[in-house]
Amino acid sequence: MNDLLLELGKNKNARRLLGSLGLPLPLPESLRRERGPLVARPLADRAVAVAAPRGGTLLATIAETLTGAGADAWLLDAADAAVFQGPGETFGRPARLLTASPERMRLDAVVIDASALADAASLRALFDALSPLVPRLARSAHVVVLGREGLTERRAAAAQAALEGFVRSVAKEIGRVGATANLVRVVAGAELRLPAVLRFVLSARSAFVTGQPIVVDAVARPLPEPPWVRSLEGRVALVTGAARGIGEATARRLAQEGAHVVCLDRPADDGPLSQLARSLGGSALAVDLQDADAPAKVVAHLGARGVDVIVHNAGITRDKTLARMKPELWDAVLDVNLGAVERLHEALLPQLRDQGRVVCLSSIAGLAGNMGQTAYAASKSGVVGWVRAEAQALASRGVTVNAIAPGFIETRLTAAIPMAIREVARRLSALGQGGLPGDVAEAITFLATPGAQGLTGRTLRVCGGAFVGA
Amino acid sequence: MAASKNKGRAVIVAGARTPFVKAFGEFTKVDTIALGVAAARGLLKKTGLGHRDVQSIVWGGVILPSGAPNVAREIALDLQLDPACEGMTVVRACASGLQAITLAAAAIERGEADVVIAGGSDSTSNAEIKLPQKVVHALAPVALGKPTAADYLGVLAQLRPFSELLPQRPRIAERTTGEMMGEAAEKMARRNEISREDQDAFAVRSHTRAAAAIESGLLAEEIVPVETPDGRWVHADGLVRADTTVEKLAKLRPVFAKDGTLTAGNSSALTDGGAAVLLMREEKARALGLVPLAAFASWSYVGVDPADQLLMGPALAMPTALERAGLSLADVDLVDMHEAFAAQVLSILKMLASKPFAERRLGRGTAVGEVDPAKLNVHGGSLALGHPFGATGARMVTTMANELHRTGKQHALLGICAAGGLGAAAVLERCD
Repeated sequence: MNDLLLELGKNKNARRLLGSLGLPLPLPESLRRERGPLVARPLADRAVAVAAPRGGTLLATIAETLTGAGADAWLLDAADAAVFQGPGETFGRPARLLTASPERMRLDAVVIDASALADAASLRALFDALSPLVPRLARSAHVVVLGREGLTERRAAAAQAALEGFVRSVAKEIGRVGATANLVRVVAGAELRLPAVLRFVLSARSAFVTGQPIVVDAVARPLPEPPWVRSLEGRVALVTGAARGIGEATARRLAQEGAHVVCLDRPADDGPLSQLARSLGGSALAVDLQDADAPAKVVAHLGARGVDVIVHNAGITRDKTLARMKPELWDAVLDVNLGAVERLHEALLPQLRDQGRVVCLSSIAGLAGNMGQTAYAASKSGVVGWVRAEAQALASRGVTVNAIAPGFIETRLTAAIPMAIREVARRLSALGQGGLPGDVAEAITFLATPGAQGLTGRTLRVCGGAFVGA
Repeated sequence: MAASKNKGRAVIVAGARTPFVKAFGEFTKVDTIALGVAAARGLLKKTGLGHRDVQSIVWGGVILPSGAPNVAREIALDLQLDPACEGMTVVRACASGLQAITLAAAAIERGEADVVIAGGSDSTSNAEIKLPQKVVHALAPVALGKPTAADYLGVLAQLRPFSELLPQRPRIAERTTGEMMGEAAEKMARRNEISREDQDAFAVRSHTRAAAAIESGLLAEEIVPVETPDGRWVHADGLVRADTTVEKLAKLRPVFAKDGTLTAGNSSALTDGGAAVLLMREEKARALGLVPLAAFASWSYVGVDPADQLLMGPALAMPTALERAGLSLADVDLVDMHEAFAAQVLSILKMLASKPFAERRLGRGTAVGEVDPAKLNVHGGSLALGHPFGATGARMVTTMANELHRTGKQHALLGICAAGGLGAAAVLERCD
């Protein structure tokens, strides 16, 4: 499980030596991550460059979000200063001109509001804004481009679609310094749902999310202004497959946000499961999701208290090429990874409270396909379709339904992959390394918070910018 | 408990304080309790109150003596007040003194007592140097059990590396963020764009006004001379510099950051001192023939995230206190703000004057308002006079109560910032 290159990369001398040898070994940058519960000011004292070419339409939201989150904004264009005046004064974060910044200052983040770019020529502004900033990016910096979703005028639609290719390529270019680049597309009328998303993509909570387009829409019924800290207090979260790995990390994070976590796993894992539940002040539920009466048991356990957050994390792999695949293995994979999700969800529907959250685990394999994983990939892309449909069904109740597609994550599962393949899998991403279970847990927790009301029916990749998958 | 029938408004009858002296100066051997005793004794003398008349002492302090942390009770015992005069000591960082006074007012108004001395004192000179907690824990088996030779060896093993064993110099730093108060104020100066020139000018004004108040004898009315253990008498505040100028302050070097703007000249100094206020139920005071000076129209205590702007508390507490008193800033005749740092006062003034700040952080449509410099800290503040943490609140209440009574003005607004991201405010109204 040890990533030798990552460890080597932490050593300055080794870095210099390998560099001088001219080996084609890209040493991955150790990512800056955030621990513990979400805080009120996640961007405290971070230097964030802001550009809004052609009069970006989201600048006011950006100004409120950055100053409220504690960031110091550095403007590329003096014309944008007026928008920052009020919020800057409020939080003691006056926006300044980037040209006046100390030469040695590194940028922790860059936000480009490209929402007003409406034709091919205007895209030049992307180049003008970001190109000179790339050398100034700090390690583990976060570049965020904001665009619009749902434009119909064809030139504007083209310009906005162009943002995606741009951002994905930027992600690949800056990944070597551990930096991420993501695109956030905002549907008209969903601007108020942008702040939580910005806090996520601009902070180390999204350390392993890069090269992703994220759509913020107004599908799910709106919420009043969400709290930033301990936002899950008084809520019940159910996490399946909670005994270890991503499930365990998720249960811990949800508990940190104040949720009562019901940790579910197979009876065989009762030991670690109850230990985890005890340490989180939650409850343990040993149930085999393949059993026909499993949903009924979960319903009985949750009882009148109901449930606010459901994380369908439990899953299995039974990898065989299609030619060698046995029918019972195929059935098992489809049943646990997709069938059980549907059965449990339907059983829990009466108990799922309004403004609830459903998060399913998909996989990069489900998006890209993988040799020997026909069944697994089918089940995981099935999840993508399921959340898309179910999100619409539950939108009027304010419930969001999303999927997370992890890339290569350092878990017991991936530790079992033969060394050579594992090495390749790790390096085949913009960040050149595997993610940690905590990275996926952060993304799930983000989707579980009230602030993530603008995301539903989507699949968010936590893959370090894997080179495969759409 | 059924409240007593003797309820009524609590009024401030008098205040007295020791001279405020730079730490490790003339008061080095006068500890917190002794400073409190001196202030309270002065108060009794000034009002002619008998030692049996005081029912309670409420005291505020920040650096409490670990051997006798209930300073209030020690003061009562040392003063030989009636043994029935109970005492409690409160800590709310630099707002401790004001906290003690508002607690006393609340107790009187609830009918728990008629006559209470409240105030605070602090002696930075007598801060205890602590052994690292690691040593305390390592020594526990040896100190508390029947140690064997192996236990002693175990202690040695636990104590390595020995470099960590040096007693720590006490720092005025936040427990959660590790940030020193001056660093926090330095940050506030930068974030609120408070210039070095403005800070120095504000500091000079504090000194000039304090010096004028001393010159005119106004402050002398509040101060009681203190005899030190070696028999010398201290009569006057030691930190006020009447002759300071912006040119002189401009020469000082920044102390909290290399390219910073905070200097020893525009920051309050570590100070030793004590201050006490006599509070009574209004009828009781009048029955005793004493003249009530002022009463509390309201008070407010708030907390903000220490990782944000540590000393911004008053910007939230002052509007709340005004609102509770049913007043606007324009209705107030005097404003007295604790001057921890010039940068901190100026930052708060900026926040109060800001409409965006009012909208987003106070939920109101209009700015709290500009504070008229002529109304603000009319007799100087902590920058000039010094800041014995627990005593500052009582000093401010005393000066403002006297000023309202003397000038016939109606309302005074007080604001104090405190460690931990706390803020305190109160509105005093003159008694007719």
